[in-house]
Amino acid sequence: MKIDFTLNGASVSVEAPASTSLLNVLRDNLGLTGTKQGCGIGECGACSVLLDGRLVNSCLVLAPQVGGREVVTIEGVRGLEGGANDLQQAFIDCGAVQCGYCTPGMVLAGEALLASNPQPSRQQIREAIAGNLCRCTGYQQIVDAIEATARRRRAKVGHD
Amino acid sequence: MVEFQYVRPNNVDGALAWLNEPGVKSRPLAGSTDMAILLRADPHLCDRVVDISLIPELHRIERRDDQVIIGAAATFSEVLENPLVQQTAPLLAQACRQVGAVQIRNMGTLGGNVCNAAACADSLPALVCLDALAHVRAADGERDWSVSELILSPNHTLVPPGGLLVSFRYRIPLPGSRSVFLKLGRRNALAISRLTVAALGRLDEQGRVAEVRIAAGAASPRFNRFKAAEDSLIGRLPTAELYQDAAHRVAEEMIHITGRRWSTEFKEPALEALVCRALALVFETPGSELQEGA
Amino acid sequence: MTETRYVGKPASRVDALEKVLGTAKYIDDYRLPGMLVARALRSTLPHACIIRIDITRALKVPGVHAVITSEDFIDHGRFGYPVQDMFMLAYQRVRYAGDAIAAVAAEDEESLQAGLDAIQVELEPLPGVFDPQAALQPDAPIVGERPWDAPDLPHGNLLNHYRVRKGEADEALAACEVTLSGEYATLHQEHAYLETEGALAVPSSDGKGVTVYANCQSPFLNRGNIVQTLGLAPESVRVIQPVVGGAFGGKDDLLYQTSGQVAKLALLAGRPVKMTFSREESLIASYKRDAVRMKIELGANHDGSLLASRIHVLVDSGGYASITPFTAWRSSIHAMGPYRYAACQVDTDAAYTNNGYSGACRGFGNPEVCVGIEQAIDELAERLGMDPIEFRLRNCLRPGDATPHGQVLGDDVALAECLEKVRQISDWDHRRSAIAKAQGGPSRPGEIRRGLGVAAMFHGLSLGAEGADFAVSTLAVDPDNSITLTSGLTDYGNGSRTVFTLIAAETLGLQPERFVMPRPDTETSIESGPTVASRATILGGNATRLVAMKLDSILVGSAADLLGCSPAQVARHAEQYVGPHEEAATFEEVVQHARRKGLELSVQGRWEAPEIAWSFEKGSGEPYFAYHFGAQVAEVQVDTGTGKVDVTGFWAAHDTGTVIFPQGVLGQLFGGIAQGLGYALMERVDYDHGFIQNTNFDEYLIPTALDVPDMVGAFVEKPFAPGPFGAKNIGEPSMVPAAPAILNAIYQATGRRIRQLPANLEQVLLAHDLRKEGDDRACKLGLHGK
Repeated sequence: MKIDFTLNGASVSVEAPASTSLLNVLRDNLGLTGTKQGCGIGECGACSVLLDGRLVNSCLVLAPQVGGREVVTIEGVRGLEGGANDLQQAFIDCGAVQCGYCTPGMVLAGEALLASNPQPSRQQIREAIAGNLCRCTGYQQIVDAIEATARRRRAKVGHD
Repeated sequence: MVEFQYVRPNNVDGALAWLNEPGVKSRPLAGSTDMAILLRADPHLCDRVVDISLIPELHRIERRDDQVIIGAAATFSEVLENPLVQQTAPLLAQACRQVGAVQIRNMGTLGGNVCNAAACADSLPALVCLDALAHVRAADGERDWSVSELILSPNHTLVPPGGLLVSFRYRIPLPGSRSVFLKLGRRNALAISRLTVAALGRLDEQGRVAEVRIAAGAASPRFNRFKAAEDSLIGRLPTAELYQDAAHRVAEEMIHITGRRWSTEFKEPALEALVCRALALVFETPGSELQEGA
Repeated sequence: MTETRYVGKPASRVDALEKVLGTAKYIDDYRLPGMLVARALRSTLPHACIIRIDITRALKVPGVHAVITSEDFIDHGRFGYPVQDMFMLAYQRVRYAGDAIAAVAAEDEESLQAGLDAIQVELEPLPGVFDPQAALQPDAPIVGERPWDAPDLPHGNLLNHYRVRKGEADEALAACEVTLSGEYATLHQEHAYLETEGALAVPSSDGKGVTVYANCQSPFLNRGNIVQTLGLAPESVRVIQPVVGGAFGGKDDLLYQTSGQVAKLALLAGRPVKMTFSREESLIASYKRDAVRMKIELGANHDGSLLASRIHVLVDSGGYASITPFTAWRSSIHAMGPYRYAACQVDTDAAYTNNGYSGACRGFGNPEVCVGIEQAIDELAERLGMDPIEFRLRNCLRPGDATPHGQVLGDDVALAECLEKVRQISDWDHRRSAIAKAQGGPSRPGEIRRGLGVAAMFHGLSLGAEGADFAVSTLAVDPDNSITLTSGLTDYGNGSRTVFTLIAAETLGLQPERFVMPRPDTETSIESGPTVASRATILGGNATRLVAMKLDSILVGSAADLLGCSPAQVARHAEQYVGPHEEAATFEEVVQHARRKGLELSVQGRWEAPEIAWSFEKGSGEPYFAYHFGAQVAEVQVDTGTGKVDVTGFWAAHDTGTVIFPQGVLGQLFGGIAQGLGYALMERVDYDHGFIQNTNFDEYLIPTALDVPDMVGAFVEKPFAPGPFGAKNIGEPSMVPAAPAILNAIYQATGRRIRQLPANLEQVLLAHDLRKEGDDRACKLGLHGK
């Protein structure tokens, strides 16, 4: 069936069986491989995307469910010049990236959190990324990166 | 290869029409956190999925007199973020908050959780503790069931084929009530509940138990309040011994229902410990009482 | 040490940008025109004879392009290192549930599944054995090679026996004033890399060669296996490693099989073939960390001197040997812990069973035995009435000491410093006594109790007696003046690419951004042995240092010629080459001059680890050329009503030598601790009669961000002369003591000694585990979808 939705701010249209997951539509139909498959059952968060601003596991979303709605993937997270934004740069600077497989999901989880809570405690940050498994980093530097970005964004707002 | 059809009605009447078309095996699709996995395992599970997840009336959370109504497609996130729920039924907000992780909470719905009726479903003990009613509409009419009655056994409910659970409602607990939801899992997120306890209670002016409700999850195939344990508490002054006695009755009741299983050696003491802790939190935590006129 | 510009300073991981942008390409992200998909048909029996495989019907399924069995490989596809007991596809027997029997390449998922379903396999079940002790009984079913199959391989189920001998342990123990005897057991651990296994083979246009992309750890080993089993000319096989989503030791053997399968399928089909694993297939088929059982006897005198140890370790190697001969040897070397003993006896047996097979996993045999010895040391300390850190300080190895293996250690031993450091940063003395005071009496029902525990460790560097230990790096200045650096060692998240870049940058006095490291590629880098055993920093780092020094002398020579002075007169200011009268030349000018003069700007450097000498027969010698030392402290909170353990604090002090990449070292430390936390508390691989019960992440639990606390890492940077800029390593040592530190903390909290991992709810509450009776359903569902 035909599925029309907004992807990273642009209109897209795909043709796929109703049973296709959003994850497969992104990776196979649209060639956007930044969103990863880790387990297929919503237990690892590697496939996380934003659906109408909310963090979800795209492996559990049936593609037709996003018809008429807004999806944001890691490819849609960019700084003003098309490179890393402040959160992505913080991930790099804080050492929060090792193998990188969980990183797209983690970045989106961070963005989702900061959109609803600009001043999260470390515990709240941990809760916000608790659905994203990481086997490499032990999470600490990821928490550091999100915390530092929150602080930086608040400071920017304060000066504007 | 025959694939299933996907439809997205705008309202409940439309959904019921799709669900009741003769000769077509249709199933409702809400958060899809359970359905996506079922469909992955068996793509021929049904001929049609009816996506009800965006129907506005199924997301409403509102107060009507002394009741709170929650649309069945309200997500765990919507429920736990709602001020009305937080004020009138903290245990339900706590239960929703401890489901899975934020991704699951953003998609999974209260109605889906109840209809899937897993023995470890987190919303069930909280709803049972609230004596919540489930409003079900079918092709030939509508009726209420208590959530307790609705669950027959794991994955089996009284919702008839072609029927749709549309809302829950609970009576707002009396002022002075406190409630709590405790979850025991093998880790602190993305955890299947090993045991859960939901408790709600209120003391009278002499500090004696005026009202108490206790329910548990992942403890038995059905969901009921533990009446014997509750009765043992009414009119008494709360003490550690009293909680212990009530907790023991809860564990006894569980074993009476399930018999001694491979996990009972663990669940019996763990359940007792959780019930004790829940009762202590309900009757001794200052400042968390429901206020008059909430 | 002189001030460095890049080494030891905050740096950006060289490949971090593409990872945060989501543009890094992992194996499943590769899509090629005409690409076919493939999957293996795997056994759902743990031990069976293959009577017949008939692929004729499968070949006729529309959309199926190729179907293979062991007959499609030379010598039935036999390979393996160090024991050649594996096959590209099972030959004559399947030895574990998940063993690959045949493989299919097809147009799409539908025809692939139809092709797999059409393969007719007749298996005759054989009796299986699922416990290593039972496997060593005379009447046990034989899993290992039978003599008539392979006369030069060990028969029976005993894969290896290793020993360590110092003095006379029996006598010494008998003479000790205080002795202790305890048994400890661990379960298998799954690596749980977030990215599953995958390989993509592209046949050459003449059909005589193949390029294989695979997320394997060791491209050269992979290429060697493909060359051997497909009978191809070495120069016609190329293996390239894409970005890898974690490995932790787990992406070798199974990847070699997968690579061999897709290579053959691609050559037969004449099209690219990709095989990637679902999480279920990965959990069922992939090798695990071995499960071990230990019996530990220790003896000491009342004055606190640890004197003797007698230890027996039994290792479950599962259906195949994999690298167990090496991990079991490392277990035997480390089983007694980093202490001085007058007498020490270790016997380690590794046995085949029909459980899933065991192989390399972070720590390589050390975490397993550390769980045992560090608890036993704690128990002995308690019996002597000594503080656990005090007892360790009293007996730990120090510079110039003789190890229990008979090796005299050099200066680079900083265990005592690590113990003191971790004691200080965790506020050990104060916290321990505060807890002891607050929890003086027996626990009240449902009480939350706290505990603090310590564990010490040592970890032999690199391969030791396991094999030839060298690495090669190359440097070449490219036409655009960027500098291409290659290493035979790979980076699957461990950060080696960044470490090598920083070393090269520091040595050459040039910015790290000038360096380009292409993806590891057998065509462009040089064989350097497997990327395992935390050898990348030392071996690869030293090779990089050497080759950088070579290139540096060429560049300095060119600069000298350009500036009209002698090389000794050339100074460096920032990136410039400066002559005795302050005349300066840029890097670009120096390179241009070198080219004009025909100087070689492409060089190789090879570093070989010092020779070690180990006598397997005597059980003594020098097992490793040096060791990493460390100590960790864990703080736990235990709910005595439910058995739930939360780790609320963690401190670690490690002797890493010079820290080259600070964020990387911390990341590896925290990651290793988190894996240790999972190992201690929640990770379990359950085999029930050979059938794995935990087939996805809902049942195989690893720690989430809410399970791991904020951790504190401290590095005792005692310069290690043989290492590049004085560096040692961190990758595996970080994980080694984490679990026993947590278990020792649980003991202080509850008085309960956990002797069987994991310390899950039931184990902590009841002092024993509870298990539902298992079956083969999860296995069958995971492999066949039904």
